[in-house]
Amino acid sequence: MSEPCGIITFFSSQHAVQAEKVLKRSGLSVELIPGPKDISPNCGVALKCALRDLAAAEARLREAGIRYEAGHSYVLVASKSLLDKLLGR
Amino acid sequence: MAIYLDNAATSWPKHPAVLAAMQDYLSTAGGNPGRSGHSMSVEAARIVFAAREGLGRLFNAASPDRVTFAKNATEALNMIIFGLLGAGGHVVTTGIEHNAVMRPLRRLESLGAALTVVPCDRTGMVDPDDVKRVVTKNTRLIIATHASNVTGAIMPVAALGRIARECGVPFAVDAAQTAGCVPIDMQADNIDLLAFTGHKGLGGPQGTGGLALSPAVELPPLLYGGTGSVSEAEYQPDFLPDRLESGTLNAVGIAGLGAAVAELAKTGVAMLAAHKQGLVAALVKGAASIPGITVYGPADAADNAGVVSLNFDGLVCSEVGLALDRAFGILTRTGLHCAPAAHRTIGTFPQGTVRLSVSRFTTREEIGRVVSALGQIAEMAR
Repeated sequence: MSEPCGIITFFSSQHAVQAEKVLKRSGLSVELIPGPKDISPNCGVALKCALRDLAAAEARLREAGIRYEAGHSYVLVASKSLLDKLLGR
Repeated sequence: MAIYLDNAATSWPKHPAVLAAMQDYLSTAGGNPGRSGHSMSVEAARIVFAAREGLGRLFNAASPDRVTFAKNATEALNMIIFGLLGAGGHVVTTGIEHNAVMRPLRRLESLGAALTVVPCDRTGMVDPDDVKRVVTKNTRLIIATHASNVTGAIMPVAALGRIARECGVPFAVDAAQTAGCVPIDMQADNIDLLAFTGHKGLGGPQGTGGLALSPAVELPPLLYGGTGSVSEAEYQPDFLPDRLESGTLNAVGIAGLGAAVAELAKTGVAMLAAHKQGLVAALVKGAASIPGITVYGPADAADNAGVVSLNFDGLVCSEVGLALDRAFGILTRTGLHCAPAAHRTIGTFPQGTVRLSVSRFTTREEIGRVVSALGQIAEMAR
């Protein structure tokens, strides 16, 4: 993750899983990842999307009545993330 | 091959998809759902959520996160009873309840709660008007079984739910004998709290079950602990499902339960109910025509969730059970079935009954062999 992305954090992994389902059905490209602890100590699972899709994703979740903690614009430090280095990206 | 007629205790066999789902879970998904962010934990969480969704659709619950998992219906019933009632409240129940309802209620009664047990008729059916008559301004809960585990009698849950709604009292249903056997609609029937077990009519493994809640009611948890959420706080989360699910879920069991519910949905509970009613009708007709046998419960199989109790004149029920098992390979349950109240209602306390309970896999041919065996036992006993 070397550029800003959208992260939606949740209180419960069951809400996160439900959110993934609803947003994929809406045509958004989303991914469940370990919840970044520097933005929320809550649920172990967060949802990553393109930053440009964040507002639409949140709106869709509100429409579907799915509880979430917050949407964030998120970026690791400008250098490559640990994951990018390990995966040779 | 045994003829298994103890499905009211636990259903057998399970659909092959249930075994496959549990094996798959342990081989591939295997993580602790909701605790970690890694792919196995997330996959486990997806499987649990899919089961939640399936159950929510089956019961017409308001939303999947208001379907919470417990280890069995007994745990769910304890959550309801101890969650809603304290020493000062009044609760109304019926005279056909299982001990999973009566024991917690009697415990609360000993602590000062007021308990009214509405008598049922000889077939085990309650009159909703009798329930309405005993509701007071202090009533905090009306709780009733959906169907008796002794007589199979299906209670008038829709009428009871209407009364509860009119009186502004939460309505809880013990669906241990009906989930997966009889259609259940929480919203249409004004059911606020539905306690269900996974290992009987739903066809899942033991160690699964839960509680579905309407939006009108909230419960404090019975168990406090780790939920994999709000981990920085030492206080129980207030949102569902986590509030009521402390500790690691029986996720492998829930994987099996989810598969079982998916299989039920393919056929439809209504069709399975009709199949079981046909079996019950044949069993009751056959048994009742044998001199020396008394059959209890509703006369009409349409009022039966799949359970038949009977007795032989002059024979102890346990002796009949032994004979059915050893001489004929027919597996039943004998005795009081953890429901002394039900036996007092139908007049079989303390001797108990022989109980035969069918499943979606029971066949007409098996029922024919059972009726023949009952006839032979009656012949021997004369």
